[in-house]
This record gives sequence, structure tokens and C-alpha cells, in this order.
Amino acid sequence: MEQIYDLVIVGAGPAGLTAALYAGRKGLKSLILSVDLGGQIAKSPTIENFPGFEEISGVELIEKILAQAKKYGAELAFEEVNSISKQNKLFAIKTNKAKYFSKAVILAFGKTPRTLDAKGEKEFLGKGVSYCATCDMPLFKNKIVAVVGGGNSALEAALYGASIAKKVYLIHRRAEFRADSTTVQKAKSTKNIELVLNSIVKEIKGDRFVKSILVEDVNTKKLTELAVDGVFVEIGFDTKTDFLKDLVKLDESGQIIIDNSCATSCEGIFAAGDVTNTPFKQAVVAAGEGCKAALSAYNWLKGIKGVAAEWGKPS
Amino acid sequence: MATKKVKIYTTDYCVYCRAAKDFFVKNKIPFEEINVGEDEEALNEMVTISGQMGVPVIVIDNEVIIGFNEPKIRKLLGLK
Repeated sequence: MEQIYDLVIVGAGPAGLTAALYAGRKGLKSLILSVDLGGQIAKSPTIENFPGFEEISGVELIEKILAQAKKYGAELAFEEVNSISKQNKLFAIKTNKAKYFSKAVILAFGKTPRTLDAKGEKEFLGKGVSYCATCDMPLFKNKIVAVVGGGNSALEAALYGASIAKKVYLIHRRAEFRADSTTVQKAKSTKNIELVLNSIVKEIKGDRFVKSILVEDVNTKKLTELAVDGVFVEIGFDTKTDFLKDLVKLDESGQIIIDNSCATSCEGIFAAGDVTNTPFKQAVVAAGEGCKAALSAYNWLKGIKGVAAEWGKPS
Repeated sequence: MATKKVKIYTTDYCVYCRAAKDFFVKNKIPFEEINVGEDEEALNEMVTISGQMGVPVIVIDNEVIIGFNEPKIRKLLGLK
């Protein structure tokens, strides 16, 4: 018979790992299942707003929280959760590798980088196409790269790229950037950044590695081929919760709806961090919510009432 | 057990490079680290042997492993 966990936590970012830390300290047998370690924050070179750390890289912060959670017995497996269902009084969690049973679940798997849906994008992933400029830009020293997007992360990736690569094309589908004006000014005045506005990437071409991209002008529909070695996609994030839609209530953008104790609409399932409808997608908020979700799960497992607001009634 | 030669290709902010290095340290496995952000020749070498541009790439004797594939690394190093 398979081992039954008290708690399965899906996701290993600030929310999931903090939940594991609190669950461990409460003596719950917990397993963290995640496709990656750290999620979005692992891609951030410097974090200056996590209390207690004047300046720390995302990777270091995540390592610290993970080590702290492991100290209290948390287990971590790099597996992708494909489905969660209720079976008798337990939850069955199926991953790409195994099946687990747990008495309670915390969903804390954050958001997933949005893809371009351009031809060749999947084929050249890891062969020139990247969703992490901080991780992979150093591989493009003296090369030509394209950064796609118009927000802060895209502009910052372009500026970082300009310091490493020979040339950066900054491709954005609109005429104006959403990023902060100081960052936009900096990008505009950087010599080796060329702006390609009102344009979308239609196709990524190459042989073993990326060689060029086909860019379409959204107004004239004219196609231009640009020779590039790398394509950095920085067009935001999606909440990938489709597989949960029959289990927990989601809002219109797919975020999991939680109450103020991090309970979802399904008894025994809690949620925390960027995957939820909580405002302000910040590491410290995610960590705080992870703590709440773990303590709520603990109370629920122990039959302690009066913490979780009842669903359907105004609290 | 004869000592196997372990090499890891990394960049500065790569979370799995750090996880892999931690793993080697914890298991007392000596390894050579090559930062491909600083060494272009090593970068070309990594791309040639792995056929891709993601880090980390780990080489144990002559076996090339893409990413921090812990089960495979444990197997190659004869760790439980």
C-alpha cells in the first residue's frame, strides 16, 4: 500500500516552501511536488524587498527557505502534477511519475511563463529559445539576441542582454512600452538595443540552433527576417489551473479563489501565493500565505473549527 | 570504488547548477566547475557535447547529463 501523507504541497516557490516549513514544525508528514525549484523568483538576480535581506538573489533566498523546510522533514520530488481527485476521504494526486495519497493539499504552484505560440518555439527550446534571461543570457556573449515583450521584465532582460550580447532586438507588439519610464528611457538610449515595435514573432528558424526569426508588422503585415542566435520570451505569466476547474472555484483569469484563511471551495484543499486571487504578487506575500495555508490545513486535519470561513456565506 | 571525474558547466544565476553543486558537496564528490558565462571556449565545448544551450550540463567520466538529473547522477556515481 502506498504511503499516505498528511499534506501534499504542489509548488516549490516561497509559498509552497514556507507552507512546508510550517507543516513540518507542526509535525505533519509532508511532500512537496514541483516541476521546478523556486519558480519565478529563482529567475530574479536581486531581491531588495524581502524583509530581513537587504539584498539577496532569488536562488539564494529559495535555497535558504528550502533548507529551513527540510530541517523539519519536508520531502521534495520534482514531478509534474497532472490531476487531483477525491477518493473516499483522501486526495489522489497523480503526477507524470507516480500516484500519491494525502489527507490535505496545498496548491502553491504559482504562474507559468507565457509562450509566444510561434512556429519553431518548442523545437528550439534550450537551443536558443529561453524563458529565463538571467539564467541563459550569459551564453550569448558577443551574439545577437531578440527579447520579446513590453513590460519591466522584458526591458530589464534587454538591458541585461545589451551588457553581454553584441546586439539586442527588443520586439514589442505595441507602439508603447508598459515598463517604468526610467527603464524605457535607459533602453532607448542604449546603443546596441534596436527597438522593433508594433511587431510580433511569427516563426523561429534554424538548424540545430536558432538562426533567425520572422517578425510581422501588425499594421502592414509585412514580414522581416532578423538574424539572431537567441530569443528571450518575456511576455508575462499564465495561471495554469485548467486541470483543477472541477475541483476548486477559479476566478475569470483562472486564479484559485481563497478565503482569508487560504481555504479553497473544496474542503481539505488550501491554496497560497501567485496561483490564488490574492492581490499583490510578491514573494513576502506568497510566503505569508503559505504559512496561513499550512496552519489552516493543520487545523482542518485536527478538526479545529472556527478558523476557516464557511464557503457561500459572507464572513 | 574508483573516483569518477565530475565536471559541471554553469552560469551565475542558474538554480539547478547550484542545486547540483550542493548535491556534490553534500555527497563529498569532488567536481570541476566551469562558468560558461566567463569562458567562451568552454561554452562552445558544452554546446558541442550536449547539443543544446541550457545549463547545467554535468559530465561524469564520459556520460553527458543535461540538467540536474539526480536519479541518473546517483546511478552513475553509485550513490544510494
